[in-house]
Amino acid sequence: MICIPYLGQKRASAIKTTILLLLSVVFFFGLTAVTASAQKKYSRNFDASRNVRLQLMNRTGTVTVEGWNRPQINITASLESPAANIQPQEIDGTIYINLVRDNQGRGEVGSVNFQIRVPYTAMVDIETRIGNLSVTNVSSGLVRAHISSEGDITLTNIGASNVAAENMIGDIFFDGEMQDGGNYRFSSVKGNINIRIPFNSSFKLVATAPSTRDISLGSFTNTSLNYLGDGRRVVGKFGEGSATLSVINQRGSIAFIRR
Amino acid sequence: MNCDECSELLSAFMDSDLDENKASGVREHLAVCMDCAVLCEDFASIVEASQLGESAELLPPNSQALWCRINNLIESEVKPETSIEEPPIRRLWHLSFAQMAAGFVGIALVSSLLTIVGIKNYTQPAADDFTTRSASTQTTFEKLAGKLGLVETPQQARERRIREQMAAISYWNDRVQTRRVQWDRNVRDAFDRNLHEIDQAVTEYQQILEKDPQDELSGEMLDTAMSDKMTLLREFSDL
Repeated sequence: MICIPYLGQKRASAIKTTILLLLSVVFFFGLTAVTASAQKKYSRNFDASRNVRLQLMNRTGTVTVEGWNRPQINITASLESPAANIQPQEIDGTIYINLVRDNQGRGEVGSVNFQIRVPYTAMVDIETRIGNLSVTNVSSGLVRAHISSEGDITLTNIGASNVAAENMIGDIFFDGEMQDGGNYRFSSVKGNINIRIPFNSSFKLVATAPSTRDISLGSFTNTSLNYLGDGRRVVGKFGEGSATLSVINQRGSIAFIRR
Repeated sequence: MNCDECSELLSAFMDSDLDENKASGVREHLAVCMDCAVLCEDFASIVEASQLGESAELLPPNSQALWCRINNLIESEVKPETSIEEPPIRRLWHLSFAQMAAGFVGIALVSSLLTIVGIKNYTQPAADDFTTRSASTQTTFEKLAGKLGLVETPQQARERRIREQMAAISYWNDRVQTRRVQWDRNVRDAFDRNLHEIDQAVTEYQQILEKDPQDELSGEMLDTAMSDKMTLLREFSDL
């Protein structure tokens, strides 16, 4: 008589546990299915020459470009719902992807996160309205990264002769080698701009941080680089002054780091 | 308003030279006519391109030719006086050798000095100044031409440029306002945050320039911030 209620309680508890487990499994698979239906995948390959140019304009989302040792451009993307139209075009050695044009007048369009691999020597020109941009291992004539509003720009192991990185709110990090005669332009409204270059670099510099006056030259401090306008601007030469480097941060800091 | 009327008024519209009635007529037409809107975008691109060539813009269009013309004018004013006061050849011999020598030395000195000053003024600004063309880096000739009203002073150029930028900003802002109802909340919030940030920068520079209108660096940064604002509006008007 005493054991029966006890056994009943035990059974009830076991049933409860089983139900909870089943519910968890159902919830997990349900959630996975929802996520899978909300995100679509896109993938495409292009044969490419050494001087191929990638020109990408995204609406919202991240773009990651990586150089590789193959004569091919590999584009993969994950599309959030409602999925954007992607219609790449190949014209005269340039791969064009323009999500702003391809989705104009559609109203709400989900973010697209690109993962792209290009030959090391490819010219890369990428833009997004909102989101982070990253370019790694590219040594060509051009690397340009432009964010219309907010997002971080990370350029790592870059050997391009023309580099431009522009955003409004967000950090900019450049890590690479400056080419003789090259042009380098970094511009932000609010964020931190960090430039990591070798000590044997040679450049003419105009760096302006009018609001914070926070311009740190680090190891690159020398008598040819002068602070002007109450410390709002640094102007001068480092080395022979072969390349041209222009940095503007309206309401943020600028720092030089020895590579 | 039809397209012909709009295209006639577009230039004045961009310069903010239209009265409010005509300007609003142009705005209404641009909102509904894609062709005219594209034309207006081209205007805005030219305005933007002109920003890149600002340093060249501050130089007189053909300073060498202008200098020659001024030089000729000065000479034409000087010559009659010299011809009137030209002494008879016989009187020249009344000057002593020392007086004549002193005269020649004086002329040689003055012309050498003028040549040195001229060469110095015509050379480009030093490498340190390669980013800006401000009052401090203006040549004497440019300052003189500015005072005579032959070329714009940097301050006048800045004011003109701000007027142009304000007109373009107003145009793009109207387009953004018609588009933003279609944006999702994240895009709207991001746009507003960024616009607020750039407006703060603009206000900051304007306050500095009110206190010190000669602060060229703030003038330059104000120009950059206004361009950034225009770019932000233009790029979001596509969404």
